[in-house]
Amino acid sequence: MSKTEEKAIIVEHLTKNFEVNVREKGLKGSISSLFSPKKKTVRALKNISFTIKPGELIGFIGPNGAGKTTTLKILSGLLYPTAGFTQVLGFDPWERRPDYLKKIALVMGQKNQLWWDLPAIDTLELNRAIYEIPKREYEETLSELVSILDVKKLLNVAVRRLSLGQRMRLELVAALLHTPQILFLDEPTIGLDLVAQQKVRDFIYEYNRRHGATIIITSHNMDDLIDLAKRVIVIDHGEILFDGDLGELVKQFAKEKIIKVYLSREDDIKGLEKIGKLKKFEFPQAILSVSRETTAVAAAELLQQFAVSDLTIEEEPIEEIIRRVFKGEMRKRKK
Amino acid sequence: MNKYLQVFKISFAQEFAYRVNFIMWRVRNVLQIFLVFFLWSTVFSDPNDIIFGYNRDKILTYVFGILIMKSLVLSSKVVDVSGEISRGDLTNYLLKPVNYFKYWLTRDLSSKALNLGFAVFEFLLLYLVLKPSLYFQTDIIQLAGFSIITLLAIFLFFVLLFIVSFVPFWAPELGWGAQFLIIVVATEFLSGGLFPLDILPSGIQGFLYLTPFPYLIFFPLQVFLGKVTGLALIKGILISISWSLILFYSMKRLWYKGLLVYRAEGR
Repeated sequence: MSKTEEKAIIVEHLTKNFEVNVREKGLKGSISSLFSPKKKTVRALKNISFTIKPGELIGFIGPNGAGKTTTLKILSGLLYPTAGFTQVLGFDPWERRPDYLKKIALVMGQKNQLWWDLPAIDTLELNRAIYEIPKREYEETLSELVSILDVKKLLNVAVRRLSLGQRMRLELVAALLHTPQILFLDEPTIGLDLVAQQKVRDFIYEYNRRHGATIIITSHNMDDLIDLAKRVIVIDHGEILFDGDLGELVKQFAKEKIIKVYLSREDDIKGLEKIGKLKKFEFPQAILSVSRETTAVAAAELLQQFAVSDLTIEEEPIEEIIRRVFKGEMRKRKK
Repeated sequence: MNKYLQVFKISFAQEFAYRVNFIMWRVRNVLQIFLVFFLWSTVFSDPNDIIFGYNRDKILTYVFGILIMKSLVLSSKVVDVSGEISRGDLTNYLLKPVNYFKYWLTRDLSSKALNLGFAVFEFLLLYLVLKPSLYFQTDIIQLAGFSIITLLAIFLFFVLLFIVSFVPFWAPELGWGAQFLIIVVATEFLSGGLFPLDILPSGIQGFLYLTPFPYLIFFPLQVFLGKVTGLALIKGILISISWSLILFYSMKRLWYKGLLVYRAEGR
């Protein structure tokens, strides 16, 4: 049982299949699917396993349709797993016990729970009653959330009149009113402007620190991941491709290194292109990317053939790696 | 309990957010009553005529009764459920420690309280304008029977509509069609919301009495009018209770089956 005490989330051999109706295009397809619907099984998650310790902040990354959101939905008890074992804080999420639901929150950037026609404060009051939060605790949490997210003036405005960024911040208030220990964030910064993104990010960081909450965040926003997550889980086609430190991810998956050279003479650039992929040239600086294996050879060649005043070799930037993850390029490399 | 009190409050606030919509809905009800009223007034031009066992007073009481019963029984908030399921908004409730049925029952009662308030007001207004001679039930037993069967009717329709609203779990694009069939065709027509059911041939009537539909509007009104008494009343109440239990149990079963295939769509 000690296993459950030190792990906030346990996922073992989790599999989820969806049955979908396949419809061929056009009218003819619609009609034929009416009479003989074709079913197809989509394997959204294929036997994935991982564990998360209390207080960890984890980034879930992968291209669209990789299975990130499906995992979060299973962990929050919305979807029924096809096979495998999941346990969060000692609960089976699918049972959706009130005691469990009071400890978690799932925030989806594209779904809203605030009552559209009413001021947000009405939804907050409703949530207070639903989660049975004591009055004093409610007031303390509310004032804390309101000040960190800077939404005091927005509480009494009908939700439909708010901008997306304002609404999103209030959504966070509504979702966190019961101070959940586990937080599933699905694209929390989607569609927000840079300032609002930063506010939300700072807030997540702060929430994790202050409450020791366990947080899983999925995002296509590079900064969300780099700023927040130490550990990342890369998922694609329903499989986990990587689970570990963000820094480790770079070491494992960087295909190339970056060589920056400073030339003392403006020479023939074509020669540079023979050595590596020329990413940028602005005399005196040239930036080349070369494959990891040939880095040393390339550097030697550069020194021999050109008048080099300075040369540095760097790792590929993290953004580049993550960008490749989003494109789904990781899978190919691994096999 | 406090949970659902809060749901009741926010529901009321929500209704008032759509004031114009609400008023239009009430206007529609009044116009409908006018139409049916003048139709039947013309049919019974002589107050002493009796057709299908209805004299003019009783048929007009029936017509006014429909106004009240519709706002009590057929104006249900549960019509929104099928949309919530197909859009994936159900997710919001599943994530919270709240009972989805109790939630909607509360919203339903809140909307009914509001609608009933307006219906009584409209009733008084129409009564003053049209000055009809109506039949008022005075027998305590009949009134008690009427109250019981009406409460059962509210529950019965709630459950029936919930079951229909589960269709989108399996066929998201069929939600509206299923609802149209059950609400417009089945309930309006078979419950006596358009005309008293005893106009129909007795064979069909006998069959209808075995279905839940007449117990929504027609049967309660018959009790109010004193046309159903004693044993027939008790039998009706028992059938209505049986249907409530059968449908409630089916609703629960379907709900769990639906959740197994629920996709939490919308993302």
